[in-house]
Amino acid sequence: MQWLDGIVQGILLGGLYAQYALGMALMFGVMRIVNITHGDLMILLALTGISIASAFSLSPWSVLVALVALGAILGLLLQRLILNRVVGADPLPSLIATFGLSVALQNAMLQVWSADTRSLHAGGLAQASYQFGTLYVGVLPVIVLVTATALTGGLDATLRYTRFGRALRAASADVEAAALTGVDPKAAYAGATAVAVAILGFAAVFQSMRATVAPADGAFQLIYAFEAVIIGGMGSIWGAFFGAMVLGVSQSIGFRIDPGFGILAGHLVFLLILALRPQGLLGKD
Amino acid sequence: MSDTLLSTHGLVARYGDFQALYGIDFEIGHGEVVALIGANGAGKSTLLKSIMGLLRVAPDMVRLEGRPVGGHRPNRMVASGVAIVPEGRRLFAGMSVLDNLKVAIDHAAAPKGTPWTLERVYDLFPILRDKQAVPVQSLSGGQQQMVAIARALLNQPRLLLCDEISLGLAPKVVREIYQSIPSISSGGTAIVLVEQDVGLARSSSDRLYCMLEGRVSLTGVSAQISREAIGEAYFGGVHAVA
Repeated sequence: MQWLDGIVQGILLGGLYAQYALGMALMFGVMRIVNITHGDLMILLALTGISIASAFSLSPWSVLVALVALGAILGLLLQRLILNRVVGADPLPSLIATFGLSVALQNAMLQVWSADTRSLHAGGLAQASYQFGTLYVGVLPVIVLVTATALTGGLDATLRYTRFGRALRAASADVEAAALTGVDPKAAYAGATAVAVAILGFAAVFQSMRATVAPADGAFQLIYAFEAVIIGGMGSIWGAFFGAMVLGVSQSIGFRIDPGFGILAGHLVFLLILALRPQGLLGKD
Repeated sequence: MSDTLLSTHGLVARYGDFQALYGIDFEIGHGEVVALIGANGAGKSTLLKSIMGLLRVAPDMVRLEGRPVGGHRPNRMVASGVAIVPEGRRLFAGMSVLDNLKVAIDHAAAPKGTPWTLERVYDLFPILRDKQAVPVQSLSGGQQQMVAIARALLNQPRLLLCDEISLGLAPKVVREIYQSIPSISSGGTAIVLVEQDVGLARSSSDRLYCMLEGRVSLTGVSAQISREAIGEAYFGGVHAVA
């Protein structure tokens, strides 16, 4: 029973990790841009959300709408002002540029919000749960998982079946050939980064409702997102979703083996998959 | 000439410190087929790249129906009705034939005359109809070339630039692909053919330009230029014959 509970809680945790990972799947997996600020942007959105919620006494759902919009704007600015200057076949310039930005963002956030941990008041939702026999399933984690599944399906369909998705895949395959076929690659990339950071708006609200956030937490979200994308397979949106599940379940089982072992268990499973199936679970070649 | 579609005027282009083109004057009329021949490194592909906006050139150096368009980004040139079949095909790997074509449909220019549709390009290259759902990297070289041409046509060009479309293909496939040229130009689309095979270039074009070391060394009506004149323009006037 303890193990069944471990798996169920792990899948629910995976729902949150999937929300971290989707934007990364789009930027790193599809566009091959390494964005080190991924986690910091989520923390920035979360802290902003907590501040506006208390300043204007907004409900978490209003905060969600505001953060998704703000995320889209931040993504657009990030791509237009920084990433479009360093985009190309070589992932190193984007890594260095965003690494610098990450350090600056963390320090700026410490200045504004101090190092205190904060969270978003979720009302009764944080404690509400369903009971199945001896198994308790939180309502909020289920909402998180359902949202993550819907976001994954939506993003995957957008990439496959829309004009924007085709343009982005074309630009990722061969940026010059895409431009020669009429695609404006910078606009496609700016749109994709806007979508990627907008999805972090969801992650920011749910993270700060489920747990706490502090300015230096971004590194965790970054590494979980990277791991989920790589476990799932570069370029696969559903792969990142399943990668997040694998990570969540590994951590959850690890915590039940030993409370100090949970996070490490996730990393070990990641390394194991990297060694045995480097192309990822749903990766092709 | 009142019916000039695209022209270049003293076009110079460079890759960093290396100057590749020294004042090219080139023109093509509506519906015309013009071949561009010359040895490797003569500047044929560079000329196409300069026209498409992949290399920096001054606005006045390239004119489309008299309007200066030099230095416009590639996607803007496509929107103005100039499409290219790039050297080496450059298909979008990992995407199906249909998705490759849809990218062009999504970003097509406003069609003049009968628009190119999926039906029409499948009639031109029937094999593609059966391969629609197949990822492009699993097609043969000739089939990939057909996708590249179909993709450019679906951009609804008034001017189609073809960069070495016969390169690396079997003679039978080359014939098959060149058979599509008359049906493309009969619809009013002007075509620039960059071609290594001089005989093929001559027989499939109205006029030709020969380039040598970044300059135009010969131009004229294809049927009226002698082989000797081409040979001289191709290799340069004073060349030692071994």
